[in-house]
Amino acid sequence: MNLFGVMGLSGTALKAERIRAEIVASNMANAETTRTASGGPYQRKHVVFAAAPEQASTFRNALIGQSASSLGVAANSGTGVEVTAVVNDPGAPVRRYDPGHPDADKNGYVNFPDIDPMTEMVDMMGAARSYQLNASAVQASKNMLQSSIDLLK
Amino acid sequence: MHITTPLADELGRYLDLATQRMQLIAGNMANVDTPGYRTQDIDFQKEFSRVAGEVAADRGPQGTGAGALHTPPQIEAVDGLLERPDGNNVSIDRESMALGELQLQFRTGSALLKREFTRMSEAIHEDGK
Repeated sequence: MNLFGVMGLSGTALKAERIRAEIVASNMANAETTRTASGGPYQRKHVVFAAAPEQASTFRNALIGQSASSLGVAANSGTGVEVTAVVNDPGAPVRRYDPGHPDADKNGYVNFPDIDPMTEMVDMMGAARSYQLNASAVQASKNMLQSSIDLLK
Repeated sequence: MHITTPLADELGRYLDLATQRMQLIAGNMANVDTPGYRTQDIDFQKEFSRVAGEVAADRGPQGTGAGALHTPPQIEAVDGLLERPDGNNVSIDRESMALGELQLQFRTGSALLKREFTRMSEAIHEDGK
């Protein structure tokens, strides 16, 4: 792996954090959703992150191919991250009394998703900060690549 | 016969090592939210003195001069960091510091290498032609 590999590695994190932010946005958007395709109210979703070896880009594979070891290219040592699953929160729905609601049961209670906007906002900020952190890592590897290129000038 | 100077070889390996450490730091940053992930790093000073020894051996009478000795650095789990309840011990401050440090190291290394190449080039065109 070289400096381009480092960018790919930070790229896996940018992708994972973006998916996390999308899921949080979906949770916030559906905070009041009482009907879903699977029936019942919307269920809060979580992402599951796992460390994963960075997959060499196809361009690099095509360029270096099998000669990677003979060129002294180090084996992949850093690990990227991937979203392995998006799981539903098993928490019970919140029951609210609203007899006029079309989804109210015979006692007048409606099942709403158990979504706390504050929790979601904190999660969103966490995702945004992690995204920034990894974007700064991309910027750092770009600067390093630039100084390597300057050797040629 | 070597066309490069020992310093240029050493600087090349210094930049290689900085890149390898950069991979680990980027990996740590990527996994800042991965449960159970442990911070990884290399002991830069120790690894660099080993690498400098390799360069010297390579250029010595028994060496091939082809840069054959290229053992990968030893990756270690970093101890003494605060562990979060999910088992992850990545510290954003530590990684950011390491990233800034690496950028400076890399710029220093590449500036020195550039200077070294210019010097060699001046030696080839000894009268400045």
